[in-house]
Amino acid sequence: MFWRLVARHRRGVVLSIVLLGAFLLLTVQVRHDRAVVSFVRQAILFTVAPFIKLTAMTAGGAGAVWRDYVDLRKVRQDNLRLQREAAFLQQRIDQLEEQALETRRLQGLLAMRETWRADYLAARVVGKDATNWFKTILIDRGSRSGLRRNLPVVAPDGLVGRVVEVTPSTAKVQLITDPVSAAGALMQRTRVTGIVSGHLDAGLRIRYLPLLADVAAGDEVVTSGMGGVFPKGIPVGRVISVERKSGALFQEAALQPKVDLGRLEEVLILMGTEQREGFESRNRGLP
Amino acid sequence: MKRFFVGLLACASAQAALLGSVSVGGVRPDLFILLLFFLSSRVSPEAATLQGFVLGLCQDALSGGPLGLRGFTFAFFGFLTAWLSHDLATERPVTQFWLLLTGAAGAGVLTFVLLTFFFEVFPLLPALAVIGPEAVYTAVVGFLLLRLPRVRATFARQT
Repeated sequence: MFWRLVARHRRGVVLSIVLLGAFLLLTVQVRHDRAVVSFVRQAILFTVAPFIKLTAMTAGGAGAVWRDYVDLRKVRQDNLRLQREAAFLQQRIDQLEEQALETRRLQGLLAMRETWRADYLAARVVGKDATNWFKTILIDRGSRSGLRRNLPVVAPDGLVGRVVEVTPSTAKVQLITDPVSAAGALMQRTRVTGIVSGHLDAGLRIRYLPLLADVAAGDEVVTSGMGGVFPKGIPVGRVISVERKSGALFQEAALQPKVDLGRLEEVLILMGTEQREGFESRNRGLP
Repeated sequence: MKRFFVGLLACASAQAALLGSVSVGGVRPDLFILLLFFLSSRVSPEAATLQGFVLGLCQDALSGGPLGLRGFTFAFFGFLTAWLSHDLATERPVTQFWLLLTGAAGAGVLTFVLLTFFFEVFPLLPALAVIGPEAVYTAVVGFLLLRLPRVRATFARQT
């Protein structure tokens, strides 16, 4: 009787079971971060990540081939040799310019590494978040390189985010502009502390600033070191505007992120907690 | 089944690795929604529900969102698309565009409702600024894909 009823309403039963399963999955994550959810997530990421890396590499190669093809199509018969030479030289210039840009970026990373005296691991960005709702990136380093959850990720200009998922060869980094990210921060000029969180429009906000605190546009915001994830003193952003709502207990400010998170190509991961002392000592001299 | 997983891998790779270069104002088309739309119209509602759930889980795993968020949304929309596929079967370009737009916007609204229910950190106006452009961009890309002769022929056979 029961099975006949189930068979009769098979569509509704399947839909209900799947929706209920998805709903329970969401509930489990809100209440506890269960290991099984993390396992499923990592298993999918582990399966798909190699294809993403391969696609990124292929796209880069195909782009170069396409550019060559387009160049060659424009070559005239009567000056073929000169055109080829020009194309070759142009390609060399492009390569050198690209190398120069990469060198500049890497010099920036190196300078930061020397300034902050901490142990870093460099990684390339190979993918971006699959939705428009969240702000995460995929990098080409994973647990094989020693990465684990909650390691801070930085760029030469400042804070990028933290590692939230790790597979053997890749890792997912939650950017500071992600709507569900949060980091302890302080205003560099006045030492007032607050919490920096992301926003759906990819912007940044610093919240929970005392109502009477001196906050002004142009103020620099750095990490406070509170919360145990991000070391103290990493540049986060600059205040664009301050909001003081009537009746509110706190004031908040919109920030311009220090790092152009939409154009990240390489990042550095801060490895190990003992090396984070470098940040603290560097900023002890600040007012 | 094989075609589904090949499509899933291709879609996931393209979404994560390629679409960054075609983003407009930070918004990219959602290939997962398009794949769901194309696949669901050729299978039973039960199969479409399961396919939608798997597609959604994969997208969740590749995003910063909670696992099950898009799984729930896509399971529901997969079921709906398969259930209504015979009624919605059309060759008229304008109708196809509006169907894609409505589907993508509906998926966005359901995602927003779930996020609000579970997290309460998503204000309405910025969410609409994500849902609207994403739905339009996705519908435009889907519409253009349907203009490709091969896709068009496959889709016509399915419906």
